[in-house]
Amino acid sequence: MSSLAGIARLSAWNRRSTLVWVVISLALATALLWTLERLRHDVRVSFAQSVSGVDLIVGARSSPVQLMLFSVFHIGSAPQVLSMDSVRAVAQHRSVSWVVPLSLGDSHRGYPVLGTTPAYFQHFAYGDKQPLVVQSGAVFSGTLDGLYEAVIGAEVAHQLGYGLGQQITLGHGLHEHDHDHEDHADKPFQVVGILAPTGTPVDRTVHVSLQALEALHLDWAGGAPMPGGHIPADQARKFDLEPVEVTAALVGLKTRAAVFNVQRFVNQYEDEALMGVMPGVALGELWGVLGLGENALLAVSALVALVSLFSLMAVVLAGLNERRRELAVLRAVGAGPRHVLGLLALEGTWVICTGVLLGVLLAQVGMALGAPWLQNSLGIRLQIAAPLPTQWALAVTIVLAGMLASLGPAWRAYRMSLADGLSPRA
Amino acid sequence: MIDIEPLRYAWTSAGEDTLALGALQVSAGQTVFLHGPSGCGKSTLLGLLAGVILPQSGRVSLLGQDWAALRPGQRDAFRADHVGVVFQQFNLLPYLSVLDNVVLPCRFSALRRERCQAEGGPQVAAQNWLQRMAMPAELWTRRADALSVGQQQRVAAARALMGQPELILADEPTSALDAALRQDFMNLLLQATRDAGSTLVCVSHDAAQATRFDVQWALPDLQQMEAHT
Repeated sequence: MSSLAGIARLSAWNRRSTLVWVVISLALATALLWTLERLRHDVRVSFAQSVSGVDLIVGARSSPVQLMLFSVFHIGSAPQVLSMDSVRAVAQHRSVSWVVPLSLGDSHRGYPVLGTTPAYFQHFAYGDKQPLVVQSGAVFSGTLDGLYEAVIGAEVAHQLGYGLGQQITLGHGLHEHDHDHEDHADKPFQVVGILAPTGTPVDRTVHVSLQALEALHLDWAGGAPMPGGHIPADQARKFDLEPVEVTAALVGLKTRAAVFNVQRFVNQYEDEALMGVMPGVALGELWGVLGLGENALLAVSALVALVSLFSLMAVVLAGLNERRRELAVLRAVGAGPRHVLGLLALEGTWVICTGVLLGVLLAQVGMALGAPWLQNSLGIRLQIAAPLPTQWALAVTIVLAGMLASLGPAWRAYRMSLADGLSPRA
Repeated sequence: MIDIEPLRYAWTSAGEDTLALGALQVSAGQTVFLHGPSGCGKSTLLGLLAGVILPQSGRVSLLGQDWAALRPGQRDAFRADHVGVVFQQFNLLPYLSVLDNVVLPCRFSALRRERCQAEGGPQVAAQNWLQRMAMPAELWTRRADALSVGQQQRVAAARALMGQPELILADEPTSALDAALRQDFMNLLLQATRDAGSTLVCVSHDAAQATRFDVQWALPDLQQMEAHT
């Protein structure tokens, strides 16, 4: 004997050619929301973990977010510079443990070049205080002999196919260059170290010494090569290559408790207008800005889900007239309106559950297959891990909303079968 | 069995399309042939008998039970227990097998399910009624929409008889059939109804069949009866 659920199943199966489109549209909407939630979470996590172990970032007075973008993410235009004298003054503060100056402004084939000291690799950390690891080779020596040495991030090495010993030339500015005409082609660098992947902007960075950047720009003035003043690579070593200015400095403290003290010291530094930014706070602010876009994305996918729920409702409603016969037959064999209601609600629930389940599967498989591509082309690292609680919550929300939506047609069918009595007037 | 006290029924509140009947009785086991021109209210009368619609005045009782005295849910349950229905066509759920279609009433009526126990359960009872309606056994497991219209009507009749409901309502059950098949179908239906001990009210245009029923109702005449009282 067929149970009501059995009848509902067979009836739905009988109309599968229509219902399959509803299931597909639900599955796509679910997959979209599911993937977006994962993406949102992963971007947020990798974002929040892009710098760690740094207590303060010091730069010329500008916007904290801009300083953060520039010094950690290597994005945006160079803010004003600060003098090395100021950096040294900060380093001498009794609470300060270490200071690593940073200089940015050049690039290699679209990847930013960071001028710094060997201490950078010691002190900079990401994630949960994970230090940078040299996967092969070593960090640049920082000596004059090793002036033209570079350490490249994992993504640079992977994307450009670079190994140890690779000769590279740098371009002026942060823009993508015509590779054959790098501005600093006269002073080639040699890759001496490749860093292990971190999932942070470090992967996309070429690291050289501050002195190397000075050497590159010896014969430059005002952002352009000095006409007729070319200084060959070897000759450069004879000049004073100690930088006078840098773009930012990372500061580590002896105790974190001193952070407000040192920040006040920096902000009130008299010889130059400086600014000390706590990375966590600036990251929070930055995320607040990015969060807008994130929320817009979420809103759009919520709309997509809503639209597909409405299409489910529309399809079921449109199908009701064709099913008038079927419902009348059920009434004739003794089914009450509540059975009709149950039948429609059951069918709606199945369609939604199938759609959502399929969507989750689609998203998981899609993410597993698309993760390498996403990492390579957009630099977004997707975790192939167990679904997040928020993802499950989304899926459950869709199911519940769908069940609610399917009550509409069910109610209409109920009214219809009441009005039709035994013989449908259709 | 069926007890109609003078009643009025109007489809619209304006009072057009009114059905007005005098007192009528049908005793258990009788077969009633209901005929009349199109639109005279035959289907409405069936609806009143089945308790699907209620008269604005007067009363329709089945087995001594006034339909109007029951709440809608109770009417559904009472109908499921005591009334079997055969439509003109499209009687079956196309996605169920013949056998599953016939068993359906037992899904919704515990009483009819119980009565089938005497025959060995709903499955066995369904097979018995299909046999009485001359349905070949090899068709029983087919999907219902794989059958011809004539076969579908016989399956519908078998289903209406499941659990021997006291009243079988048939709304022009042969009008979709070829003339050659009508006679066969009526023979089978009348015989099976007698076997079940059920009362049959059959709406039909096929006047040739009329004499084979115990009672003939011409709906226009019934309406006149009301006019005289």
